[in-house]
Amino acid sequence: MRMPASLQRRLGLSLGVLLTGLWIGAASVTAVLARNAIEEVFDSALQETAQRILPLAVADVLGREEEGVTQRLAEIREHNELLTYAVRDAQGRILLLSHDANPVVFPHWSGIGFSQSTTHRFYSEETLQGSIRLTVAEPLAHRMVVAREIQMGLVLPLLIFLPIALLAIVLTVRTTLAPLRRFRERLAARGVRDLSLVPADELPAEVAPVADTLNGLLGRLGAAFEAERSFAANAAHELRTPLAGAIAQAQRLQAETGEPATKARASDIEATLKRLTRLSERLMQLARAEGGRLRLEHVSDLRPVARILTDELSRTAGADRISLSLPTDPLMSDLDPDVFSILYRNLVENALRHGADGTPIHVSLASDGVLTVANDGPVVPNETLARLADRFERAGKLRDGSGLGLAIVHAIAQRIGSALVLKSPRPGQDSGVEACLTLPTTMSDNNLLIDLGSRFGNSPS
Amino acid sequence: MRVLLIEDDDVLGAAVRDQIASDGHSVDWVRRLDAADHAIAGVPYDLVLLDLMLPDGRGTPFLRRLRARGAATPVIILTALDQVSDRIEGLNAGADDYLVKPFDLAELSARIGSVARRYSGNPNPIVIHGPLQIDLAARSIRRDGRLVPLTAREWALFEAFLSRPGQLLSKAQLEEKLYAFDAEVESNAIEVHVSRLRKKLGAEIIVTERGLGYRLGQA
Repeated sequence: MRMPASLQRRLGLSLGVLLTGLWIGAASVTAVLARNAIEEVFDSALQETAQRILPLAVADVLGREEEGVTQRLAEIREHNELLTYAVRDAQGRILLLSHDANPVVFPHWSGIGFSQSTTHRFYSEETLQGSIRLTVAEPLAHRMVVAREIQMGLVLPLLIFLPIALLAIVLTVRTTLAPLRRFRERLAARGVRDLSLVPADELPAEVAPVADTLNGLLGRLGAAFEAERSFAANAAHELRTPLAGAIAQAQRLQAETGEPATKARASDIEATLKRLTRLSERLMQLARAEGGRLRLEHVSDLRPVARILTDELSRTAGADRISLSLPTDPLMSDLDPDVFSILYRNLVENALRHGADGTPIHVSLASDGVLTVANDGPVVPNETLARLADRFERAGKLRDGSGLGLAIVHAIAQRIGSALVLKSPRPGQDSGVEACLTLPTTMSDNNLLIDLGSRFGNSPS
Repeated sequence: MRVLLIEDDDVLGAAVRDQIASDGHSVDWVRRLDAADHAIAGVPYDLVLLDLMLPDGRGTPFLRRLRARGAATPVIILTALDQVSDRIEGLNAGADDYLVKPFDLAELSARIGSVARRYSGNPNPIVIHGPLQIDLAARSIRRDGRLVPLTAREWALFEAFLSRPGQLLSKAQLEEKLYAFDAEVESNAIEVHVSRLRKKLGAEIIVTERGLGYRLGQA
């Protein structure tokens, strides 16, 4: 038999089976022992009765005038005769019968001592050199009734106490394992991005090390995510500052020199440095998209981030290029604002780069978390659209992009359980491209609310 | 304007300093926050350019301290932190604008101008003063529609008067606007620049209050 997977059931079942077995075994042994003791007592009574009756029978038989006559004793007062007896001579002639005795039940003489038929137990005794033989018979049914009463006396408490004992086992096991269950529930209730430690103080000593190991693991995981996040920030800083210095110096050189050739060289250096900046930025974003933690334990409003980014992108693209529509209510999301900015920036920059010159980019962030970026421009064939999210894949003739923007968006979308949907032409239009992505929000993510609820509920402080 | 540049990178800092100086502002360049604290306690700056990651700490707490003291100096953040959360934090700490590294020096100049204009209460870059049409963004002056060429120093001096119309400025205040700590100030430099401005824009453009200083007059 396979044991159940649940420790609680396993303990309950094995303890229950063991206890039931032990109890039944003990009761059976007691019943057998009691039965033997009863047999002994009954046999002794039977023997005693025979030995007490025998002298009386001898006196009775010897006092007779006629020999070999069967005499049945009269009933003194009506009663149920439990023990019957027969007195016979050496030839087997019945000399005396107790008043209820049935001569058929008595077996042939087989000597002094106990014997047994299918219905009766006998004790035989003889005297006067075997000329007077007495056999006392006791019906076995009588003994069986007594034995059954004793057995019932043993089984009845069993029927009452065994269920109580089993119930007690189940309750005890359940109480003992309750901390374990609570620990499991706390783990199960938390959201996927909750890496805080699980309180494990009440756990039994056998399981506590498992919880400690788990908490250690959670801690290391959290630290690794944090390290990754700060690495991305530090690496960006370390790369950006020298690049900024070099670009600024190249620009100063262009401003200060009077030589057209030097100016042109400085301009080339500047352009290359800017390309290098964009590429390193994209690679950093890609690393972030694939490795780092995308969702936080707290929620924040995405609208100010969208405004800042639009403002920033408008500075380089022109004030009227980007039209942004935002919901009136805060759009709370646990998506890391910096990850949101990577998504947003890449989609909008992509639309700016590939959209028809001078036409506005329509960006909308709906209250259900759907981010849509649409631009006008020629229709992109479906097979090209399908390839666009691949790395280093650039659309059409334009070669100044890194070819990573949509790949980064695609990687992030996959990891937040969404999909980047590209459509061309835009829905309801006959030109342009629309990119669409659903962001996690508190409205669409009940898990987070439960997670917050359980955190407040279980908080020890 | 007198600008405090807080930037620890030598190459970038030098380029930014030269750019601002070529715009006619005077620049004090410090590389650490403690030096910035020291400088700001001694000189009234018109604008601060603040890097966020400095050897002795982050720029945001410095900015908060500055604002907590009630300083209304315009602050532009220069940051290599591309993460939008850092920018939001910087703006919430009281920055007026920010530039993400790497940035174009021309954009930096434009931002400095726009922030300074916003602080003077008139975000419009075009100022009309008598027959003068002054474009603060383009740093150009037209007199009766004709372009009047000014040197960077002359422009800086004129801008100092424009930003405080009617207010008396001492010679020492004007020297502070024009020169950084380490620059040599010639004793008659202000007089020289004032007389050139008068020659180009009209004798009445700057009024001398004997023994006290100068103020903006009618062109």
